[in-house]
Amino acid sequence: MESFEPVIVAFCCHYCAYTAADMAGSQRLPYPSNVKIVRVPCSGKVDALHILKAFEKGADGVYVAGCLEGDCHFKNGNDKAARRVDYVKRYLEEIGIESERLMMVRMSAGMGARFAQVATEMTEKIRRLGPSPIKAAAA
Amino acid sequence: MQNTNLSQTSNRVLIVGGGLAGIRAALDLAEAQKDVILVDTAENIGGLMTQLDRTFPTNNCDLCTLAPNLSESGRQEHITLMPMTTLREVTGEQGDFIVTLETAPRYINLERCTGCGECFQAFPECVRFTPGLDHRAPTCMRYPQATPQAFSIDLATCADIEALVKVCPAGAIVPDDIGSKGNVACGAIVLAPGASLFDPSGLDNLGYGELPDVVTSLEYERILSASGPTGGRLLRPSNGQPPKKVAWIQCIGSRGLQKGAAPYCSGACCMFALKEAIVTRERFQEDTETTIFYMDMRTFGKDYELYYQRAKNEFGVRFIHSRPHSILRPEGAENLHLSYTTDDSPVLINEDFDMVVLATGFRIGEEARQLAAVCGIELNDDHFPIHTGLNQVATSRPGIYVAGTFQAPKDIPETMVQASAAACLAGHDVSSPDREQEIPEPLPPERHLVGEEPRVGIFVCDCGENIGGVIDVEALVARVGALPHVTVAQAAGHGCSRESMEHIRATIEQQGINRVVIGGCSPRTHEAKFQDLLRRAGLNKYLLEFANIRDQATWVHSHQPEKATKKAEELIRMALGAVLNAQPLAEHRLPINKNVLVIGGGVSGMTAALELAEQGLKVYLVERNAQLGGLASRIHRTLEGDDVQGFVADLVARTSTHDNIDVITSAIIVDHGGMPGLFKTGMQVGKQLFYRQIEHGITILATGAMPHRPDLFLLGRHEDVKTQLETQQLLEERPELVRDWENVVMIQCVGSRTEDNPNCSRICCQTAVKNALRILEINPEARVFVLYRDMRTYAFQEEYYQQARAKGVIFVRYHQDRPPQVSEVGGKLEVVYQDIILGREVQVSTDCLCLSTGLIAEQDNTEELAMIFKLPRTHDGYFLEDHIKLRPVDLPVPGFFVAGTAHAPKTIAESLVQARAVAARAQTMLASDYISLGAATARVDSKLCAACLICVRACPFGVPFINADGYSEIDPARCHGCGVCASECPAKAIQLMQFEDDRILSKLEQLFEEVEG
Repeated sequence: MESFEPVIVAFCCHYCAYTAADMAGSQRLPYPSNVKIVRVPCSGKVDALHILKAFEKGADGVYVAGCLEGDCHFKNGNDKAARRVDYVKRYLEEIGIESERLMMVRMSAGMGARFAQVATEMTEKIRRLGPSPIKAAAA
Repeated sequence: MQNTNLSQTSNRVLIVGGGLAGIRAALDLAEAQKDVILVDTAENIGGLMTQLDRTFPTNNCDLCTLAPNLSESGRQEHITLMPMTTLREVTGEQGDFIVTLETAPRYINLERCTGCGECFQAFPECVRFTPGLDHRAPTCMRYPQATPQAFSIDLATCADIEALVKVCPAGAIVPDDIGSKGNVACGAIVLAPGASLFDPSGLDNLGYGELPDVVTSLEYERILSASGPTGGRLLRPSNGQPPKKVAWIQCIGSRGLQKGAAPYCSGACCMFALKEAIVTRERFQEDTETTIFYMDMRTFGKDYELYYQRAKNEFGVRFIHSRPHSILRPEGAENLHLSYTTDDSPVLINEDFDMVVLATGFRIGEEARQLAAVCGIELNDDHFPIHTGLNQVATSRPGIYVAGTFQAPKDIPETMVQASAAACLAGHDVSSPDREQEIPEPLPPERHLVGEEPRVGIFVCDCGENIGGVIDVEALVARVGALPHVTVAQAAGHGCSRESMEHIRATIEQQGINRVVIGGCSPRTHEAKFQDLLRRAGLNKYLLEFANIRDQATWVHSHQPEKATKKAEELIRMALGAVLNAQPLAEHRLPINKNVLVIGGGVSGMTAALELAEQGLKVYLVERNAQLGGLASRIHRTLEGDDVQGFVADLVARTSTHDNIDVITSAIIVDHGGMPGLFKTGMQVGKQLFYRQIEHGITILATGAMPHRPDLFLLGRHEDVKTQLETQQLLEERPELVRDWENVVMIQCVGSRTEDNPNCSRICCQTAVKNALRILEINPEARVFVLYRDMRTYAFQEEYYQQARAKGVIFVRYHQDRPPQVSEVGGKLEVVYQDIILGREVQVSTDCLCLSTGLIAEQDNTEELAMIFKLPRTHDGYFLEDHIKLRPVDLPVPGFFVAGTAHAPKTIAESLVQARAVAARAQTMLASDYISLGAATARVDSKLCAACLICVRACPFGVPFINADGYSEIDPARCHGCGVCASECPAKAIQLMQFEDDRILSKLEQLFEEVEG
């Protein structure tokens, strides 16, 4: 288990979270390379399908990162994303995947440090949880 | 010095100041196809706003709201950006100025600097930043989204220039930069240098500068800011602990009561303090107490009163009507000690606070004064430009305009509106350059890819050491080159340099590449540039994907090169998967109808109509009443003494006789259809109600508001009870009646700031002051009482308020829960009020009771129009703009704009600014001959659509509707491209172009390819 390197997919909205990731970059704030970013125009664009596909393909954790409350460039896409994440979490439990593997986070474009912190915490959490049951079943 | 090399045609506008106002004006002009030079003395544009954390009343993150404007202005082909540049001389006249511009050496080649930060890592002391409570952003540009995205070197502090030059991987450091100076011709000048903030260090009673926990409101903002010195954590500067009690003291350096204070009100500080207090309560521990010490809470903007009420009721911010005299820290104590008295009791209260924030107001600094001197414009006693008549943005010198806080203290929305208005007027002094001859190379036709196998070109930047220093780019290129469908994989060096771009373009053409992946930096900053490149190479610009291997791999995993390499490869593979699913997208366009429909024939509507008609556009001005003029035709003069009647008469005459304006009176709008740029609006005209339809490209709503007449204080029941509007008419038309008056009582906030009508009417305090001064002019013996809740004489109106006090007008504050009582005794009016300071009731027998009833929206009328045009309104019936800060005169439906009191109560001069702003915004849309229906929009597959209405409900902008064929239709002209509908659609009938499901899913598949196999 010690060598377990989780793969984590981070769906990041263009206007806040993706910009925060760029900020983390320009501030050279290290975070685990396990986190892979998929850029979306708005966190509200992230479909339940995308999240489930990530798990199906072998992701050990997924998070959706959108703007702070009330800051969404598209008015309220981030709130819609949060509701969808809650829904998918319940669904994951039903099919036997720990719902902690999925998370909604919010940050502003200036929060490079928060981006790095979230990526680090998520990676640590998933590392503790171990590989996704889907991957374990496939192996 | 080198010569600034710009062609000598005067067909351009010079904008001085790259803050919000300058950027907005530049964008409006550029979008209207006019050339602009934007100069700023700072290293990067952005101005004061980049230092704010959030903005009221939306509490949006400031950088998020400003950043789109910044990057646009760097890109616009009509804008020449000149940072670190000072205006030295202005000669000539309107339409034909010659200006001398001097640019200080930056020692950085902007073309080459990638903003990588290597120079700062190695030589932090030589890289310039803007100081003050360490405002240094972590990247040491002034803020993360800096434009230009480049550093600046302070050569004087550099001991080893050679080593500094070597550290730059892009070779961008130029130690022999000598700056430049040269003359440029321009047709108009917009001055938007902004204002400075009052420096309270001269006031020894406040302890600023000695007590670390006493900070200015801007410094507090920096402490709250994520890019600020504490990384967004609220900590006391003295001991690094979170404060438990924070106090704000308002009007520091404003409203003329202290040493060194200016006489005017700074206008924005009340809202600024409210925002900081709310954010403090919202973001940090609930147990941080917030207290605001104020003189009058001046929340007079649109819906600002609601924000004040929220601060009080929802967030529990404490408000104390008092001015603590001094801030002390007793020997050995940690906390700050304030003594103050309150309205209720004369007893001195002592209270300790952990931090005290001084709400420091705006000042015109030395630099701005010099700028005014160079331009030869006149300033008032407070060093703000004097404007001509009712036109706030025109200076004493024709052809030179002002906008923003340099004109007068103001907040961001008003700054934005003024900037657009200045752009409107400046734009009229120049014509659009003839671009036909200037296009250097016509674009090749786009290649058709039907039936073509994907031939992907992957170009991986090394970005100097930024990428190449961590991973082996050549080895990476070799590996990704072996992937299926990859025709070419190359190392691109600095991919964004001119040479590399040219090489990539040639490679695409020679190798028949039909899809491109760039492995390099962020698409946020460089996607547009490479999209242009693809287009020049004959490819559709949407056949491009970015793998951000710099920001997401080499920069953040630099200590683990193996992991960085693996991740970079994964990111490129993901991009490859996505680009294989990319499809060419067409940006459809239709010819635009350039006619303008203006609804409302008051001063706003007429001004907007005239500005546009003067530009050769055909304007239909529709007025519901039989005559033009609106509410202003009942007003005689302004607080400042301008003759309104003459002004309105002149405006009506010019409007009715203008060749390009078709005035349609007695007309009611009945139907509307079409799309932005191609609208059709029907109306019924005249007594016969005959139907007429107009075709137009844009619509301007200037429908005004109406005087409020609530059934309060015997209004309409006793002839001596009048509204301020009626009083004003009486003063001008029958002054002889006023000569016999002994007492006059005015009551403020009648029917405003109440439960039914919670907003402030904005115009009433100044109207009361105006009428009070006029009464004393006619009858110096009269005693005038003004019963008020907060006197809201913002900006220079404050000086008239002080004048009225000096002349003996009695201002008495009343509490909302103890309003004055009015009764009739023997035919005479008796007013009884509670005097807070005397602590007892006072009875006045009055000859006239003037009620400040303000304005209200005409609910029935705005509701009707809102339904016809599908426009949102505020809860109190005013039209709701698209974005209170960024797009204050644009309505959410593209092609619709709002001006004047249809937006919110405001003065005539303020309405005129908005009318001109609307004219400028309209011209940005009408400058083009076509309307572009963007490509990255949602598309519905009608075969899959079940018309379930989910998209209709999900869309944040209300765009989808079920059409006559029974399926959902999304107008690409109105779609914002968020993709919420696509993700909610249960039938997967909607796809967001550029972010289609298969494109996202193939990224995931590519990512896990290796994990699986």
